[in-house]
Amino acid sequence: MALFEIFDPKAAPRPIGIDLGTTNSLVAYVKNERPVVIADCDLEALLPSVVTYLPEGQVVVGRRAVAMGAEHPRDTIASVKRFMGRGADDPETRRLLPYAFAERGDGQSNAVRFRVAGGRVVTPVEVSAEILRALKAQAEDELRSVGGAVITVPAYFDDGQRQATKDAARIAGLEVLRLLAEPTAAALAYGLEKKQNGTFAVYDLGGGTFDVTILVLDDGVFQVRSTGGDSQLGGDDMDRALAHELLAKLGFDEGKQTPELVRLVLDAARKGKHALTVEESMQAEVPGQKRVPVTRARFEELIRPLLERTGTACRRALKDAGLARGELDGIILVGGATRVPAVRRYVAEVFGKEPLADIDPDQVVALGAAIQADLLAGHGIAEEVLLLDVTPLSLGIEVGGGVVDKLLPRNSTIPCAARAEYTTQRDHQTGFEIHVLQGEREMVVDNRSLARFTLRGIPPMPAGMARLEVTFQVDADGLLSVHAKEGRTGIEQSVSVKPTYGLDDAAVEQMLLDALDHGEEDLGRRRLAENRVEAGRILAATRKGLEADADLLESGERDGIERACAALDQAVGGEDPSLVHARIEALDEATKAFAGRRMNRAIAGAIEGKRVSAVEDRVRQAKGIEEAHARRSSEVR
Amino acid sequence: MDPFATLGIARTFDVDMAAAERAHRELSRVLHPDRFVGAAPSERRNALEKAVEVNEAWRVVRDPIRRAEALMKLAGVEIGEDREAKPSPEFLMDMLEQREALGDARQARDVGAVRTMASSVAARVGEVEKELAIGFSRGQERELVGKLGELRFYRRFLDEVSAIEDDLSA
Repeated sequence: MALFEIFDPKAAPRPIGIDLGTTNSLVAYVKNERPVVIADCDLEALLPSVVTYLPEGQVVVGRRAVAMGAEHPRDTIASVKRFMGRGADDPETRRLLPYAFAERGDGQSNAVRFRVAGGRVVTPVEVSAEILRALKAQAEDELRSVGGAVITVPAYFDDGQRQATKDAARIAGLEVLRLLAEPTAAALAYGLEKKQNGTFAVYDLGGGTFDVTILVLDDGVFQVRSTGGDSQLGGDDMDRALAHELLAKLGFDEGKQTPELVRLVLDAARKGKHALTVEESMQAEVPGQKRVPVTRARFEELIRPLLERTGTACRRALKDAGLARGELDGIILVGGATRVPAVRRYVAEVFGKEPLADIDPDQVVALGAAIQADLLAGHGIAEEVLLLDVTPLSLGIEVGGGVVDKLLPRNSTIPCAARAEYTTQRDHQTGFEIHVLQGEREMVVDNRSLARFTLRGIPPMPAGMARLEVTFQVDADGLLSVHAKEGRTGIEQSVSVKPTYGLDDAAVEQMLLDALDHGEEDLGRRRLAENRVEAGRILAATRKGLEADADLLESGERDGIERACAALDQAVGGEDPSLVHARIEALDEATKAFAGRRMNRAIAGAIEGKRVSAVEDRVRQAKGIEEAHARRSSEVR
Repeated sequence: MDPFATLGIARTFDVDMAAAERAHRELSRVLHPDRFVGAAPSERRNALEKAVEVNEAWRVVRDPIRRAEALMKLAGVEIGEDREAKPSPEFLMDMLEQREALGDARQARDVGAVRTMASSVAARVGEVEKELAIGFSRGQERELVGKLGELRFYRRFLDEVSAIEDDLSA
C-alpha cells in the first residue's frame, strides 16, 4: 500500500470530508458544486465504525466486522470514539462493554489499550486509523485520487480528543486540511441549502457524543456564538439504558454477564430503540432467551435522564449566546439518535420551536465537511463562505492553592492566543511547573488535566522576582500549544500540548512507520508530494494576488516575484523535495512586502465596509426590530 | 493593545454589540487562516497573527469584565486582583454567606434555591454594569475599580452555579 498516491497523473486529487462517527462513519466530496456522500461497492454510504482484529492478523472494518462481533466480542471494537484521548483509568472504560484492556507498559502513556486477537495490543488511535483507512479506500474507488481531508470532531471534544483524531488521520495516511466541529459542519450544509441569514441552534446527538452549538449565519459567515455538550453522551447510552433493563428482566445480575451475552443484549437493545421509533411497543429478542416486551412509554422513561442532561447544555449554550428561549430562527437536528420521537419532542420543548430535519441527520455532517474541504482546497463552491468556530472549554493553568487561572474562556473565537504573567512563590525557586487544564471549574481537581511541563534552569532569586510569561495559542483546528518564558533570563520552552492521556510524538511516528510498506522510500515520496501540493497552492495564490492588486506593486517588484515563481515551477517538475522547499521560501521572501500591503488594504476595506453596513443596520433598526431597539434606546445617554 | 481600535469601534463601555460583532466578522472575513491556505508561509503567519489579534479584541469587547479592564488600562489605571484595593468587608461577608447558602442548596440538591440565588446575582450584575456604563462615560475609571472587583466575584459565583447545575442534572 502506498501512503500518498495524490500524484496519480490520471486523476486530480480531490479533497474529501469525513464524518468519523461513534457508530457510523461517512466520506463525502463535492461533485459538480454539490456535496455528495460516497457509497461503497454495496452502495452503502454508512460505514459502521467497528473494527475486528482476527487471530491471523487480518483487520476487518465495517459491516463485516459488525457481523463478527458476536463471535469475537473482545476482538471487535465498536464505539472506539468514546475512548479517544481518554485515560485507562477513566470511568468510561469501565462501563458496560466487553473489551479486555492491556496493562500500561513501562514508559507508556496512560492511553487506553485494547488486548485483541493474536496477543495484539491496539490503542483507540490505531483503531480509528483503520476506520479512516477504509473510508479513504472507499473514496479512492470513486475518485481515483484523494487529496486532503476535513475530519469532523464533536464540538465538545477537548484538546486530547482532537489531537488523537489528528494522529489517527496521520497514521491512516491522510493529509488533514482541518478538524471541523460537527455542528458547524452541519450548519454549513444547511446554510448553503437554505441561503437564509439568522440565528440557529444545532442539536447533535450522535452515537456517543452530544453537542449543541448556537451560531449566527450572516451572508456566508457562520459565526459560532456558543457551544456546549457532553462528549460521553449519545444514542449508545440509550441502548445501554435499555440493555440494563433487559438484563434485569432476563434475570442476569452483574456476576452472570459474559461479554458474549452483553454484546447480544446491546444488539437487541439497539434494535429495540429503532423499532420504537416507529412502533408503540415491541418484543426485544435476545438469542436463546425469552422475549421481553418493551413499550415506547417505558423506553422514553428510561432515556428521560439522558435527555435532561442535553437540556442543561442547551440552556447553557443559549445563555452563553445571550439569547432567550424562542429567539432562534431555526433548530437543526443532527445524528441518528435525533430520529427518536422523544428527542424531537424534547428539543422543541427546550428551544420553544419545532426542529428542522430535512437533510438526512446521518449524512449532514459529512456533507458539510466535504464543502469545507472543497473551500480549503481553493475550489470554493462559495467564495464568501467562512466558518468562525470557538473553543468549547476554558483553558487555564494551575496557580497557588489548587486554583485554575483561566487564560482563555470557553467560546473564544479561534484561532486565538492569551498571555499571562506569574511569579515565584518561594525564594530560590529554580523551576516552574506548568500545569495546563481545560474545563469550567474553579479548582484544579475538577478540571481535565491536559499537560504538565517544567521550565527549568532559572537562577535562584528571591520569591516574587522571577517573571514567568505563559502564552496559550489555539489554532484553527482547536489545538492548543503552550509557550513559557522567564522574562529576566530569557529561558523559554514551548510545547504542543500532548495530552496526558494521549500518545507522544514518537509513538505516533512509530505507528506511521509500521503502516508503511517501504519505509524511507515512501517517506521521501510523501514529502515530495506534500511539497508539490503546497507549491501548487502558493503559485496559484501568488498569481491571483498579482492580478487582483497589481496597483500595489512597486517598480521592479513584479519581475522579482515572477522570477521566483518560474524557479519554483521548475523545481516542482523535478524530484528533489528540498529544492521545492527552498524555492517556496525564496518566493515567500520575494512576495513578503507585497503581501503586507495587500493585507493592509483588506483590513482597511473590512473596517470601511463595516461602516457602510452600520448605516444599513440603523435603517433596519428604525424599521423596528423591537427588542433590540428598546434595549438600545434605554442606553442612550 | 487597544481592542476598540482593532475593531474600529468607539472606545466606550456601552458598546453597540451588534456593530462590534459585525466588525469582528468583517475583519475575520479577510484575515481568517482559511483565507490564506494557499498563501506563502510568511503571509500565512502574518495573517494568523492579525486574526488572533482581532479575535482577542472581540473576546475583550464582548465580555463586560474584560472590557472594563481594557478601558481602565487604556486610561492608565493599574488593575489586576493583587494591585486593586480589596472589596469592602460588608461585601465580602455578604458573598461568603451567599457562597455558603449555595453550598447548602447543593447539598440539599435544591435546584430551585440555586436558581433563585443565581437570578438575584444576575440582576445585581445588570445593575453594576449600568453603573459602570455611566461611570466610564464620565471618565471616572479610577472610582470604578471596586465595581469591577464586585463583577469578578459575581462571575465566579455564577460559574459555580453552572457547575452545580451540571452536577445535579448528571
